[in-house]
Amino acid sequence: MGDTQDDGRERSVRMYAPDFLTELFRNPLDPGYADAAARRAHAPVSGWRAWPARSVSLLVVVALGFLFAVAYEQTMADEPGRSQARSGLVAQIKQRERETDRLSERADQLRAEVARQRAAALSGSQAARLRNLEAGTGMGRVRGDGVVVRLADAPDKADAVTGADAGPSRVLYSDLQGVANDLWGAGAEAIAINGQRLTATSTIRSAGQAILVDYRPVTGPYEVSAIGPGSMKQRFEESRTALLMREVAEKTGLSFGVREAEDLTLPAAPEPRLRYAQPSVSPSPSPSGADRSASPGPSGSGTSTSPSGGGR
Amino acid sequence: MIAVLALLAGVVLGVWLDPTVPAALQPYLPIAVVAALDAVFGGVRAKLDRIFDDKQFVVSFISNVLVAALIVYLGDQLGVGGQLSTGVVVVLGVRIFGNVAAIRRHLFRA
Repeated sequence: MGDTQDDGRERSVRMYAPDFLTELFRNPLDPGYADAAARRAHAPVSGWRAWPARSVSLLVVVALGFLFAVAYEQTMADEPGRSQARSGLVAQIKQRERETDRLSERADQLRAEVARQRAAALSGSQAARLRNLEAGTGMGRVRGDGVVVRLADAPDKADAVTGADAGPSRVLYSDLQGVANDLWGAGAEAIAINGQRLTATSTIRSAGQAILVDYRPVTGPYEVSAIGPGSMKQRFEESRTALLMREVAEKTGLSFGVREAEDLTLPAAPEPRLRYAQPSVSPSPSPSGADRSASPGPSGSGTSTSPSGGGR
Repeated sequence: MIAVLALLAGVVLGVWLDPTVPAALQPYLPIAVVAALDAVFGGVRAKLDRIFDDKQFVVSFISNVLVAALIVYLGDQLGVGGQLSTGVVVVLGVRIFGNVAAIRRHLFRA
């Protein structure tokens, strides 16, 4: 190191290039400038002879500015390409969501229209029977008193340090399944999760971090509303899921609450898509008779729903 | 002063003409810019040191850009383009830093 320092100081005596990086750090200026200055000191260039060189160097400066501008434009042109694709996708998603909302709104309107027309066309008793069936199967909006079970994820606490306990303190799809099942067991006649009505074919599943109810994502806090008899809250509180969830809530900070609610309104479920079954077109008495005999379970719940169904 | 005006003229020219860079030359553009920056800061420092020389400036600019592009091209052909451009950027970056530090000493005496 001492040698190279000497070399640096006595540049004229230097015989070999010192360590390249050391030289680079100590003396970043092109040595050519010093050489040129030394040459000029020996033979000064007069004014008019310096002009060509000066104009060339000005041209180079112009070229420099040009280069910077081009490079800047190039980089800017590349950058939007990436973010544009992203924002384009986001915009598409937003637009499709709006479209879906609009279409489902229209579907609801049409369904209400159909229901009204049907009610006008059918005789009173038949219409009432249909309404009850719809209420029982989740195809129609229902109103009544019941309970609301509220589940919410535990607040994120020291997630970065103890990442392990972030997992179990979230509400799982199986929790919602258990709550829904035990509410049915406690005598609920209609259940909705965050405004998504459950029917006989509803699914509660998880996809990654999200919970899907009937293939539509629901996010916490989850409110499971159920319409049923007055004893439902008591019976649900004694059910296995409620006990389990209370314990889980105590241990992990996840929140779980059951409260009675008056005058709940649960929306209709979307029309089920029939894949295999086809509606048979036959004289009206036989399907209704078959319906009555083939499905004692739903019809039982349907008749018990009649007060709430009639209330609409 | 004239140099600054010339630089601005170049920028305006670049914006106004808005040339499209051929795809083959695109990888060399950033390296060329870094090399040009090195030449510029070297020139400014030389000016402040009162040893500026037009010929030296022109030659250093052109050779810097060409050599940088050549190294990147060579690296691309050898399959080590990324590493070689990193090397070029490191070397030129060190020089830019050193020259800027000298300029700063000139301007602020600190």
